[in-house]
Amino acid sequence: MLQREIEDFIEKVRSRREFLKMSGKGIAGITVTTSVLNLMGCSNTETANQDAPKAAAFVIPTGLIVSEPNKCTGCQRCEMVCTVANDGKIHPLISRVKIARNFNYGKEMTDNYREENGYYGNFVMTPETCHQCEDAKCAAACPQKAINQNETTKAWTVDKDKCVGCGACTAACPWNMPTVDPETSKSTKCILCGACADNCITGALKFIPWEKFEAMLRRNGYRLS
Amino acid sequence: MANITGWQGSLLRVNLTTGNIKTEDTMKYKDLIGGAGIGYKIIFDEVPQGTKAFDEANKVVIAVGPLTGTAAPCSGRTNITSLGPTNPYHAITDSHMGGNFGAWLKFAGYDGIIIEGASKTPVWLKIEDDKVSIEDASSLWGKGTIDTEHAINEIMGKEACVASIGPAGEKQKNLASIVNSVNHSAGGHGGILGAKKLKAIGILGKRSVHLADENAQEWLKLNEYMMKDIIGANNQHVVPSTPQPWAEYHNPGSRWTAQLGLFWGAANPPVETGECAAGDKNKVGLRTQKAVFDLGPIAEERTVKMGGCYSCPIRCQSNMYMPELEKYGLTPYATSTCINYSSPASAMLKGFADGDTKGMDAMIVKCLGSRLADDYGIWSNYGQLGRDFKFAYTSGKLKEVLPKEEYNSINFDLMEKGDPAWMVEYYGNLIKDGEFSHLLDGPYWLDQRWNFGKEYWDGYGYNVWSKMAYPKHHSNEAGAQVGALINVMFNRDANSHTHMNFIGAGLPIELLKEIAGEVWGSPDALDAPKNYTPMNEYKAKFAKWSIDRNFLHDSITLCNWVWPMTVSPSKSRNYRGDTALESKFFSLATGIETSEKDLDLMSERIATLHRAATIKNMNTIDMRNEHDTIPNWVFDVDPDMKPFTEGTVKLDRDDMQLALTMLYKEYGWDEKTGAPTRAALERLGLKDVADELEKLNLLP
Repeated sequence: MLQREIEDFIEKVRSRREFLKMSGKGIAGITVTTSVLNLMGCSNTETANQDAPKAAAFVIPTGLIVSEPNKCTGCQRCEMVCTVANDGKIHPLISRVKIARNFNYGKEMTDNYREENGYYGNFVMTPETCHQCEDAKCAAACPQKAINQNETTKAWTVDKDKCVGCGACTAACPWNMPTVDPETSKSTKCILCGACADNCITGALKFIPWEKFEAMLRRNGYRLS
Repeated sequence: MANITGWQGSLLRVNLTTGNIKTEDTMKYKDLIGGAGIGYKIIFDEVPQGTKAFDEANKVVIAVGPLTGTAAPCSGRTNITSLGPTNPYHAITDSHMGGNFGAWLKFAGYDGIIIEGASKTPVWLKIEDDKVSIEDASSLWGKGTIDTEHAINEIMGKEACVASIGPAGEKQKNLASIVNSVNHSAGGHGGILGAKKLKAIGILGKRSVHLADENAQEWLKLNEYMMKDIIGANNQHVVPSTPQPWAEYHNPGSRWTAQLGLFWGAANPPVETGECAAGDKNKVGLRTQKAVFDLGPIAEERTVKMGGCYSCPIRCQSNMYMPELEKYGLTPYATSTCINYSSPASAMLKGFADGDTKGMDAMIVKCLGSRLADDYGIWSNYGQLGRDFKFAYTSGKLKEVLPKEEYNSINFDLMEKGDPAWMVEYYGNLIKDGEFSHLLDGPYWLDQRWNFGKEYWDGYGYNVWSKMAYPKHHSNEAGAQVGALINVMFNRDANSHTHMNFIGAGLPIELLKEIAGEVWGSPDALDAPKNYTPMNEYKAKFAKWSIDRNFLHDSITLCNWVWPMTVSPSKSRNYRGDTALESKFFSLATGIETSEKDLDLMSERIATLHRAATIKNMNTIDMRNEHDTIPNWVFDVDPDMKPFTEGTVKLDRDDMQLALTMLYKEYGWDEKTGAPTRAALERLGLKDVADELEKLNLLP
C-alpha cells in the first residue's frame, strides 16, 4: 500500500516533469500522502487524519514545492520575506505567497467559525502558493501581454514596464494569487525566487530541487528517471 | 537626510467626547522611538496631574515602533500606555499584546492611536486606511471578546484585525484586558476603554511598511544572520532541554524542548519536533514545544501546533485540541501560554480531582480557565488574582466580607473537590456585580476594601511587591539585587525579561559570568543562583541595562520575552549573542544610521521619562521611600540563614539601599531621592519635562 502510494506519486511527478520539459509549462499540485512525505524527509508519522487539509506538491521546472498545512504556525514570515525580497517593503496583500488572508477564518468565514479553519477555529491555516499553471490564466487574461514565462526560471513573470495594474490577472486566477500593489499599480506575482520556502521556520513550505529529490529517491530504492 | 522609513508618519487622535478624529505627525516623537516612548510623552504632557484612570481626562495611547511590521524577528508586540488603575496612585503603566494588531495598525498607515475623552454610548472604532469612523456598538456591549471580534469581522471582512474588551472591561474592573485575535491580551487597561465606552477597534489597511530604499538585500542578510547564528528558543534559551548529539550543553529548565519522538500530536498528520540543531533556520519554529512545558507530557497528544505573534519565529503559544471543553459548552480548541495557563490553576486551591498537577484535570482547568479569562477580558495580574483569591478564601476573609446570600450562592464545593467546573463558577462570579468581583480590584484596592493586613503583605508566596502593590516578576530570585532593582522601577509588575532570559539561557554559570563581564564590565555582575554576593557597581549596570532594554523593546517594538540577544546557541561564537542587533535593524528600517550606543541613549531617555511621569503622578520626589520600596519577605525569608550565604535568595536591607543608590547613580539621578535631576533630564533632551516638573516643584 505504502509502496504503491510512493510509486504513484513518483509516476505523477515523472509525467508532469516530462510534460513540463516538452511544453515548458507547469501544472497543478499533486496531493502528497504521509508515506510520500516520509520519503521526502518531511514528516515521520503514519497517523494521517483523512479530514485534514492535504499536503501538496507542485512540480516546477527546477524541482518540487511542498506545502504542509499541519506545520504552518501562522507566523506570516513567508509573506514578509517575499515582499522584502521582491518589493523592498512589507505587506501581506502584495505577497506572492498568501497566508494572512486565511489566518483568522481560513478561506471563508462561516457561522460555524469556531469549529472551522483559522485561528478563530481549529488553528489550521494553509499557505497558498502560485501554481505556475500549465494553462496560466493570468497570462492569458493580461491585456498588455505583460505576463510571460521567464526562460531561465520558467516562472510566469510580470513585465513591470508593460503592466498597467488593471487587475485582470487577479480576476482571472482561480486562486486570486497575483495582486496589484496599490502603491505602484503593478501586479505582483510569484517569480519562483524561493525566499518564502527558504525562510519558513518549520519547513511547512519547502523547495526540493530535482537533484535532492532524486537523491532521496535513490536512498530509498526508487528512481525518477 | 535621505527619506526616513520605518515609521508610517501618522498618529491617529480620536476624541470620543466630541467625535473628532484627526492625524498628527509621528516624527515629533522620533527621539522617543515609538510605542511606550510616545505613550509616556503624551500622558506626561496631556493628562493633568491628579487624573484617575477611569476619568474622562485620562488618555490611552496604543502605539508601535519603527520595527513593527518590518519583519524583524519577534516584532509583533503592541504597546498600550495609560494611567494604571491597579496602582495606588494610578501612576502610568504599559500593557502589551501580541498577535497581528501592531502590524495591522502600521498597514493602515499609523504608528499609534491616541484615545481621549469618553463616549456616552457604546462605540467601536473602525479604521480602514484613512477612512476612520466611530461606530455604534450597542449591539456588541455585553458580548465576549470572541463574539465581538467576529461581529466586526462580519462588517470589515475576515482579514481585519480586531481588539476588544470583554465584560470585565465594560464593568470597569481594574484587572481587565484588551484582547486581539482570540487570546493576545494586554493586561490592565481594559477598564479604561470600558469607562470610555469603547468596545473595540477594527483595523484593515493597504499601506506597506517600507525599508530604507537600498536596504532590502542588507535586511535579508541581517535576517539570515540572526536566524542562523543568534536566535534561540522561547525566552532566548540557547541550549536544548535534553542531551542532543549536536549540543555541547543541555539544561532541563530550557524551553528548547524539541527532540526526537516529541510531537505536535494532534496535528494532522502529527509533526515531530525532532532534532532542531542550532543553525537550522527552517526548524526554529519547532524548537519550543511549549505545550509540554506549560501543561506537562500529557499535552503532547493534544497539541495541534505552536502559535504566536506576527513575524515571530519563536512560537511560544500552544494551540490545543481539547474535546473535554465541549462539556462546558465550548468548542474543543484552546490556545494560551505561560501565566495565562497557570493562573486559572492557581484558583484550584485544593488541587485537582485526579490528584495530578500535570494530569488531565489540570490541563482541562488551564485550557478552560484561559479561554474564559480571554473571552471575558480578565487580566490575571501576572497570576496575582489566584493568590489574592487564595488569601481571601483560606484566611476566612472572603466569608467575612461577602454578603451571606452571595457567599452561599457560589459553589465553592467544586473547588474543594478539584472539579474543573470551578473555572466556570470562578470566572463567572468575577464578572458579576457582587462583592466577589472585587477580587478584580488588585491588591492595593482589595486591601483597602477587605483589609487583608500584614499577613498578606509580608507573606512569602503572596508575592506582593512594594507599596505599589504589584506582584513580583523575576525579582530577587533572578540575579539577586539585579532582579530586585528591576522590580522596583515600574508601576505594575515588572514585565522585564532582559535579565531573566540571560540568567535562564541554560548555559553554565561560568560561561554566563564571562559574558556578563564582557557586557557589563565584570563577571561579578552576575551571581550564581542562591549564592549571592553583596552589591557592586556592575550589578547596577546590569540592572540599568536590563531596564533600559525593556523600555527600548516596548518602544521600538520588539518582544522582551526573546530580545535582547545577549547570548546565542552558536558554539562557534562561543555562545556570544549580539547586543547591537536592535540598532542594526533600526538602521535598516529607518534609514537613520544608529549605533548601539545611540540607541542605548534613546532607551535611557524613555526610562527617565517614565520615571518623570511617575513622579508627576505621585506628586512626590521621594521615590526611594514612597515608590522604590522592597517587601519585608525579601529580607525575612529563611529566618535561620544570613544573606549572602549559599542556599538562600535572601537579601540584606542596608545592601539594597546601597543598591538603589548605585542604580540612581548610574542614571545620574539624585542619589537621595531617586528623582531625575534637571541636569539628567537635559542631558537626555528632556528640558521641557524638567520645566514641567519644576513648575510642580518636583525637581530634587
